[in-house]
Amino acid sequence: MANGDATVARLWLWATRARATDWDQRFAVELPRVYNFFRYRVGPGPVAEDLTSLTFEKAWGARNRYREDRAAFGTWLFTVARNVAIDHYRSARATVSLEDAEEIPGGSTPEEIAERRSDETHLGRLLARRTERERELLALKYGAEFTNREIARVTGLTESNVGTILHRAVQSIRAEWDKEPENE
Amino acid sequence: MNDDRLDDPLLHQYRREPDPRFARSLRERLRRAERRQGISRPVMRALATACGIGVVVALFAIPSVRVSAQALLDLFRVRRFAAVQFDEARFEALRSADQDQGLLVFDRKETIRDAGPPRYVPTRDAASPEAGFAVSEPSYLPEGLRADSMFIQGEGEMRFTVSEAKLRSLLDRLDVKGVTVPSGLDGHWVEVRKPAVVMQKFRSKRRHAVLIQAKSPEVSIPAGWDVEQLGEIGLRALGLNSTEARRIAKATDWRNTLLVPVPLDVTTFRQVTVQGNSGLLITTKGETGPDGNHREGTMLMWTSGDRVYCLRGTLSAREVMLMAESLPS
Repeated sequence: MANGDATVARLWLWATRARATDWDQRFAVELPRVYNFFRYRVGPGPVAEDLTSLTFEKAWGARNRYREDRAAFGTWLFTVARNVAIDHYRSARATVSLEDAEEIPGGSTPEEIAERRSDETHLGRLLARRTERERELLALKYGAEFTNREIARVTGLTESNVGTILHRAVQSIRAEWDKEPENE
Repeated sequence: MNDDRLDDPLLHQYRREPDPRFARSLRERLRRAERRQGISRPVMRALATACGIGVVVALFAIPSVRVSAQALLDLFRVRRFAAVQFDEARFEALRSADQDQGLLVFDRKETIRDAGPPRYVPTRDAASPEAGFAVSEPSYLPEGLRADSMFIQGEGEMRFTVSEAKLRSLLDRLDVKGVTVPSGLDGHWVEVRKPAVVMQKFRSKRRHAVLIQAKSPEVSIPAGWDVEQLGEIGLRALGLNSTEARRIAKATDWRNTLLVPVPLDVTTFRQVTVQGNSGLLITTKGETGPDGNHREGTMLMWTSGDRVYCLRGTLSAREVMLMAESLPS
């Protein structure tokens, strides 16, 4: 029987919330956060998926070194993700264009799909104009859904500094969104 | 800057769920890596210990219902849950005593049917045929919480034999005195059948919950084994003193009760009623979130007919109860 063989083992784990890490659950919870972190960072499409894969593969390779009592798993995982992002930019010097990447968004009617795609492309364009630091913080905030305090913990910035940078970035995006036509 | 002021809906529009095919493919790759690495040592140790505690838990904790058709085996199923507190340090002692990768008190262990890894299923309708029952979904969700994903793990079956010598050795190592290991355990097969298990995950920005539902697992042991005596041994191995272990072993209705060991210092628990059925509500210290803040956790276990449910997450007791009550009866 996979994953430890016995019903009893599973019941034991369910029942006592054993301290052993449930990697399936961790994966299910963290995958959307890591994937969206990279979506905001480099745009949708294969690059975001590649960097997500790389992050998990690195984290899985080192997971026996992860100590639950030292750092929250999410914090630890996003330390890996940030390093993956840094390596990606360093090695390729590739600014993956958010505006070039497209994917089919969800939607019930062709009109809705078209509208969402247009909004997404437009938003991607605005995100791509932000500075590196702003994009990273936006990715942590809206992609990984961290609070400002959590972002401060991950990045080493102060919480108020995080709030200020994010506030400016959001204001800029909002202003440009309202001002610019979608099809420049 | 206040978080709420930055909660701009426009910026949230860029979020998407990962492609399920990508998610499955990545999880498979990671699983292969896990297998190459022999799975994570902490997980293996915990599972091995849990299996090892089979004599402690498996052989006694799953209730005896009836003698099987062959009249050779007692069949055990879960009908209700009850809590027994234990010192978590003992769990660590049991874990460190396990030098044989799960063979703590076993001689042999065989997989009869591999359950395989949990697999993503898109809907409960897709999960139901494989689960063998109509998968339920709560009609009530706490504010902000939404259904996230669903997984199913197939049926599994294993069997193992217990070693009296190993059991005695374990009790010695744990310094458990005044316990007589019954003879006649050696060489007999104990079979464990795990039915398909459906796990539905719910999440919001800050919280999450998992609803697990399955048919009752079954454990078959040779007829004639003194379950009460084995239960008492198990309770002693968990660290209870002889008086308390004997009292609980005698008071427990082994026919329909699964004892749930809960750590002494980290939980509170109480019996509750869920849709007219007895349940066990456990409040834990929860878990540390990405922000380093601790969130209280709640776990509710109950049975209904032949179904076993476990709902746990970073929710309040009230929310968990409301979710459970909202499942179709």
